[in-house]
Amino acid sequence: MVSVINTVDTSHEDMIHDAQMDYYGTRLATCSSDRSVKIFDVRNGGQILIADLRGHEGPVWQVAWAHPMYGNILASCSYDRKVIIWKEENGTWEKTHEHTGHDSSVNSVCWAPHDYGLILACGSSDGAISLLTYTGEGQWDVKKINNAHTIGCNAVSWAPAVVPGSLIDQPSGQKPNYIKKFASGGCDNLIKLWKEEEDGQWKEEQKLEAHSDWVRDVAWAPSIGLPTSTIASCSQDGRVFVWTCDDASSNTWSPKLLHKFNDVVWHVSWSITANILAVSGGDNKVTLWKESVDGQWVCISDVNKGQGSVSASVTEGQQNEQ
Amino acid sequence: MEELDGEPIVTLIPGVDSKKQMCFDWGPGELLVCETSFHKKGKSETVPGCPFIYIVRKDVDVYSHILRKLFNESHGIFVGLQRIEELTGKSRKAQLVRVSKNYRSVIRACMEEMHQAAIAAKDSTSSRQFSSQVSILSAMELIWNLCEILFIEVAPAGPLLLLLLDWVRLHVCEVDSILADVLGSENPSKHESFWDSPGNTQTLTELELKWQHWHEECERHLQDGTFVSSPHLESLCKIMLGDEAALLEQKNLLSNWYHFLVTRLLYSHPTVKPIDLHFYAQSSLDLFLGAKSRPEPLDNILMAAFEFDIHQVIKECSIAFSNWWFVAHLTDLLDHCKLLQSHNLYFGSNMREFLLLEYASGLFSHHSLWQLGVDYFDYCPELGRVSLELHIERIPLSTEQKALKVLRICEQRQMTEQVRSICKILAMKAVRNNRLGSALSWSIRAKDAAFATLVSDRFLMDYCERGCFSDLDLIDNLGPAMMLSDRLTFLGKYREFHRLYGDKRFVDAASLLLSLMTSQIAPRSFWMTLLTDALPLLEQKQVIFSAEQTYELLRCLEDLTSGRPEQGEPDQQLQDDDIEATKVEMLRLSLARNLARAIIKEGSLEGS
Repeated sequence: MVSVINTVDTSHEDMIHDAQMDYYGTRLATCSSDRSVKIFDVRNGGQILIADLRGHEGPVWQVAWAHPMYGNILASCSYDRKVIIWKEENGTWEKTHEHTGHDSSVNSVCWAPHDYGLILACGSSDGAISLLTYTGEGQWDVKKINNAHTIGCNAVSWAPAVVPGSLIDQPSGQKPNYIKKFASGGCDNLIKLWKEEEDGQWKEEQKLEAHSDWVRDVAWAPSIGLPTSTIASCSQDGRVFVWTCDDASSNTWSPKLLHKFNDVVWHVSWSITANILAVSGGDNKVTLWKESVDGQWVCISDVNKGQGSVSASVTEGQQNEQ
Repeated sequence: MEELDGEPIVTLIPGVDSKKQMCFDWGPGELLVCETSFHKKGKSETVPGCPFIYIVRKDVDVYSHILRKLFNESHGIFVGLQRIEELTGKSRKAQLVRVSKNYRSVIRACMEEMHQAAIAAKDSTSSRQFSSQVSILSAMELIWNLCEILFIEVAPAGPLLLLLLDWVRLHVCEVDSILADVLGSENPSKHESFWDSPGNTQTLTELELKWQHWHEECERHLQDGTFVSSPHLESLCKIMLGDEAALLEQKNLLSNWYHFLVTRLLYSHPTVKPIDLHFYAQSSLDLFLGAKSRPEPLDNILMAAFEFDIHQVIKECSIAFSNWWFVAHLTDLLDHCKLLQSHNLYFGSNMREFLLLEYASGLFSHHSLWQLGVDYFDYCPELGRVSLELHIERIPLSTEQKALKVLRICEQRQMTEQVRSICKILAMKAVRNNRLGSALSWSIRAKDAAFATLVSDRFLMDYCERGCFSDLDLIDNLGPAMMLSDRLTFLGKYREFHRLYGDKRFVDAASLLLSLMTSQIAPRSFWMTLLTDALPLLEQKQVIFSAEQTYELLRCLEDLTSGRPEQGEPDQQLQDDDIEATKVEMLRLSLARNLARAIIKEGSLEGS
């Protein structure tokens, strides 16, 4: 039984564009057209405003939490062409870095797996993707991929960390050699897979073609210990594809059509344990999908907007449970 | 291939404008939903949006205070079942029946507590909620009990009816009161005392004979018109002959169709065989409900049980109940009875494992019940481990105690990746809060050499600034952990040098100091400090460094001063150069003097 367990009143004065839970589900970050980024403590069903961050000069499109080992760090991107990285220092949240390397709206930000260090990928309407790497002492190194997608890049998503070979016999102090990859989706109807070369430059490894209109979102599924890689993509053309690659070395990706919706599909997202895909549609619903044993994707639930006075059921006890 | 029946469940989010859209994202255990508009425009919307974020979850029952007891105690029974030594034959059956009865008593205990809560509730809403939970638990126990009789005890013909009578009696209070009435009343005729028979222990043959006798006698009386004068006695006789119509006339005494079924069987087919059960069940249901009523979910579940369709029972229960507790535990028990064939399931090849995984995942949303979840994952051979790995990393490490608990669980299962990740998080948090000792012990636990090096450097920097070490206890007792990284080894040894010096074991201290440089364990940046540390040893009255050692020290000094690259800002460098130059001069002087004294000492007859 699915129910609404908590409602957080963000008091945003304009449209909300993104809401993200932190790694442990204890904090919630939201961003809005009112140019602010807000952070709430949502433990035990409550809501306490921790920070109201101002710094953007336009609607803020996305927020992303970094892995907790780096502390409390949040990235935000906005129509104002900026990416801002916020950090909690001694109990207060402050802007710790501002990246202004794009010529138009930055649409998507995504942190790389923590194993790679603190790296942020940003996709922009100027068609470029920039990668910010923290090098220490407040310094961020920038690498830019120009013309990643013609017209614009709408989404970026990192592949989960896969360690080649065994981690057990690492010589003391040496970092294992990860193959860093991420996926991007753009207005050229393509999904592109990018790989970091030995010289530190990013190269386009593959193009995934199946959509007939702008790709609005891509999401690389978390790893569940199998050698298969899975990517979900959705587009202006109303289609959602699930791409799978059975073996990292073979590099052949096969798309499977999840569903054809009647309207633009804007957002796809994998649950943390990778077995459920949530898809939002222009038809004002969020649908949840799961893969069956025979490889077909089945819709298991439908989260719909209420029509007026339907009240959410709240189970006894959980409001005052510790 | 099983089809997914029914449309997907729709959950409505209140308050979101139908003209707008919903954006969402996953938290570790929930789904966040809010109103938005995906068409990205530069300017703001003219109509202000809804400022609410809705947090949606599917395992809310974990938060119930009373159900928690159910989860806790059934966990103990579950783990016990996985671990008990499998007996064979009759003893095995008895073993499994015992487990089943344990589960049922836990349900009943929970029901009782819930019932008390309903009575004690302060307002009518909570009272109603508690009461509805009581009915749900009661239904669970009813179903489980029936499953125990039909699937686990596997009662053959004869005893089956007795068990079913017990089942009905336990769950339908009215039967008891009727029996009490009948027992208490005066019975002028012999056959009315036959009402006593439920619950009596009689052998199958005795029962059949008795039954035959009574049945014939009743029929004779009816046909002879013995009861014409008393319609009441006549209908009583018809009932005892198993006349359905007569039974149905007493419908108000029968609370439901399965009570009707068992009563009917008692009078018409007391030695009913299990395989024939479903015929009578279906017709009892139809007759009792009549044309107007439709069967409810509970009726369907019971019917599936009477049809011995275990998979259907589990499926229906999964849909009917709001949490996975019931189906997960019952399925696991039935699996132990070897009753589940490998069934082609939608979301996994093993139904038992699928249900246990769903149940355990739900437990992880709770701040302390997650510990129970760990054991459930342990007994899921296919996906249990990887599920545990994913879930355990997301447990908030709010206290050191909790962190240690989580780590112990990971270490016990050789989940090295998770150990490393969790220790790293704690270590970095400690570094940020300047608790270097804590940071060091976390990095040692994580076997993270790179981080140990980082923390050791911080310790050394700290020492340079303050002239003393923090967390001496930790560094003094590193033991074999010292080998984790070169820098850590150096830190440990350097501290040892200080201890030796403090104990006035100067010769040992001197040798150690020298070896730190010659073995290349000390980072070059620290050599100046080490050489400066040598000064008091060189200035002692007695000669501590031998000539050989002094030559080594000189060599190190030369090494350091000659190979020095250009560093720092131009202005700063001049200043640094001055200080450095003075230091070097002092050292050279000290070393030269020591060399002279050492040579003399070693050359003379007393020295050796």
